[in-house]
Amino acid sequence: MNVRAHMSMLFHLDKCIGCHTCSVACKNLWTDRKGAEYMWWNNVETRPGTGYPTGWEDQDHYRGGWEKNWVGIELKLQSKPKAIANLFYNPALPELDDYYEPFTFRYEDLFNAPESKHQPTAVPISAITGDPIDIESGPNWDDDLSGSTIYAANDPNLEGVSEEVRQQMGEIERVVFNYLPRICNHCLNPACVAACPSGAIYKRGEDGVVLVNEDECRAWRMCVSACPYKKVYYNWSTGKSEKCILCFPRMETGQAPACAHSCVGRIRYMGVLLYDADLIKWAAEGPDDEMFDRQKEIILDPFDPAVIKAAKENGIDDGWIDSAQQSPVYKFVKVWNMAVPLHAEYRTLAMMFYIPPLSPVVSTIEEGLVRLDIPRERVDFELFNSLEKARLPIQYLANLFSGGNEEVIEKILRKMLAVRIYKRRESVEGIIDDATLAMVESADTTPEEIEAIYRLTTLPTIAERFVYPPYHREMAAEAIYGDPLARKGDVGFGYIMPPERGP
Amino acid sequence: MTHLSDGQRDTRIRFSDLVAQPRRVLTTPTWSAVINKGRAYSPFTLNVEELVPWRTLTGRQHFYLDHENYLEWGEHLPTYKPRPDHTMLSETEISANEAQGRLLNYITPHGKWSIHSTYSENIRMKTLSRGGYPVWLNDKEAAEMDIKDNDWVELFNDNGVFVQRCITSARIPRGTVFVYHATERTVGIPISPLRQKRAGMNNSITRTRLKPVLMSGGYGQFTYSFNYWGPTGVNRDTFVYVRKIDKPSY
Ligand code: SF4
Ligand code: SF4
Repeated sequence: MNVRAHMSMLFHLDKCIGCHTCSVACKNLWTDRKGAEYMWWNNVETRPGTGYPTGWEDQDHYRGGWEKNWVGIELKLQSKPKAIANLFYNPALPELDDYYEPFTFRYEDLFNAPESKHQPTAVPISAITGDPIDIESGPNWDDDLSGSTIYAANDPNLEGVSEEVRQQMGEIERVVFNYLPRICNHCLNPACVAACPSGAIYKRGEDGVVLVNEDECRAWRMCVSACPYKKVYYNWSTGKSEKCILCFPRMETGQAPACAHSCVGRIRYMGVLLYDADLIKWAAEGPDDEMFDRQKEIILDPFDPAVIKAAKENGIDDGWIDSAQQSPVYKFVKVWNMAVPLHAEYRTLAMMFYIPPLSPVVSTIEEGLVRLDIPRERVDFELFNSLEKARLPIQYLANLFSGGNEEVIEKILRKMLAVRIYKRRESVEGIIDDATLAMVESADTTPEEIEAIYRLTTLPTIAERFVYPPYHREMAAEAIYGDPLARKGDVGFGYIMPPERGP
Repeated sequence: MTHLSDGQRDTRIRFSDLVAQPRRVLTTPTWSAVINKGRAYSPFTLNVEELVPWRTLTGRQHFYLDHENYLEWGEHLPTYKPRPDHTMLSETEISANEAQGRLLNYITPHGKWSIHSTYSENIRMKTLSRGGYPVWLNDKEAAEMDIKDNDWVELFNDNGVFVQRCITSARIPRGTVFVYHATERTVGIPISPLRQKRAGMNNSITRTRLKPVLMSGGYGQFTYSFNYWGPTGVNRDTFVYVRKIDKPSY
């Protein structure tokens, strides 16, 4: 057992309102710079939809992630020998049109325009060339456009959803969508790291944050192609690749990442997960339908004495172990079995987790009408008993999260529904009858667990949502620089100079 | 209810604090939320937790209003009301012969990203919302009008004109056109090809009308008080002609 610690984020999609406050917080903090205009380290997508960059999940086109073959797994982009032969050839790289041409407006015209018979207006211009531009795409172009035949219909996760249901999803009576906020997944088996010919990308030992060493980056951009989530971006001005840094300077000082801290829906949780690094290879090479189960298996129980002992042997201090025991992410992922990574089948072992969204109502259109005449005593249980009629098809969620495995998603949704129905009957009807208890049991949960899930879902304080370990930067600074006081208050290491353009 | 001000009596706010940001301190006994200790505003918590009767005729929440005026206008119960006939408004008669377009019900709901007109024309919000103030049309109806997603459209009636690019979407009901309120008239507003003037903002094509039931009074909660109860300017909806245009100039 080789125990390591990881900082993970959990997104409770049932609570996301799609406000994009997270994206704006991140952009203002990190990517409000020349060359970084089009980078959205955090972005929010409407699903079904095509996402950002457009159609990023189409791996036949972008060739991101890993592929299983007879030797084990290999980058889908190219095998190692091929990588050397094709160093100057990277056809799967997304182009400007797959993102968008960043634009701004000539705001100064509002003040300086010469006298005219019309009131002045600020015309849109390209943020790259400064010339007037016709705006034809953006980082959130298909916002709220589920049901669209030009955007949402191309969402690859709709594969396997019946033609009839897809048709209905394009009608106003049945249109349905959820929001999907995304950051870098700080994977355990990161394709970006594996693809970099310069060895410039690394995963930090203490908390698993994946970083690009800007001094080493030589602009090969193999990481951009290899990341199946398209979460490495190339800065056209500095000639270096950049990505989400999980706000490590904030985490090191006990603050949540800016996206999580600013989240209006309070959907985000942060906490430590302990995992067994010896099993990464085993987990990444699993058969398709076991990907998620294996990943869960390598996440360790922070209360298990053997795990604690092995963690200490690996230099993980008590503060981190304590923090792992309080971790809300651990509870949702491992104890309650309610969370899944995005696209487990990409085999990068993504370490950010999602609780899938519940549908509001059962919805089947019969003869053009949505049925609302369900007998009152059955209303509460209707969706629970007929998940196949959920407005957002289970198949869709399964394609998005669990590599098509519907059972995984069904179990989670059943548990979420059990919480909802149980609490509703308790507070509105004032009774927990046998039917309710039977439902609780069939959802594989208990009233005690329901209460705990309910509290952490709806009533957590900020200290319960974000549980931070002590980073002890002073110890690291001492080890590297000798005198800890000389570097007091520092976060991270090195990189105090702007990067020079690579040779 | 004096306990609501416990621990807050020695609060001080300096002028420099107010310059830095708005401050919220006391729970007021006349508003409806308890906001002590930074608690988020949630309506009616004061009524529920402190057993303060609702400020209505009966002291309860009203769903049904038996005021004569409400009964007469059919507004006593919040139920479905069909859209009015455009001839009742007389805001499209002159424009009817001006150009070809389809007559649609124009509504201007609250936006996703702004409270009314709060600074939505900054580069962040414009980048996230297609770089303009999109006009939302039903996708099938747009196809019938030969309008494609992101085409320029012109909305016009006897009140004014609005020119922006459009979004075609399944979630908009037929017969309806949406523009989220409230747009600014500063960023990327072209010249209207029809009227040859700088196009307007979302309220350039609506007109303020008084809603008669809001003039009712002398009845429990219907008692005039400034910014609390009284006739409001109803300027959200009307009818407009919608037509596709070529890329306009600025
Ligand atoms: S999600 Fe992040 S860590 Fe994973 S492959 Fe992409 S850039 Fe690398
Ligand atoms: S800030 Fe939170 S609620 Fe808003 S879009 Fe981002 S994740 Fe969703």
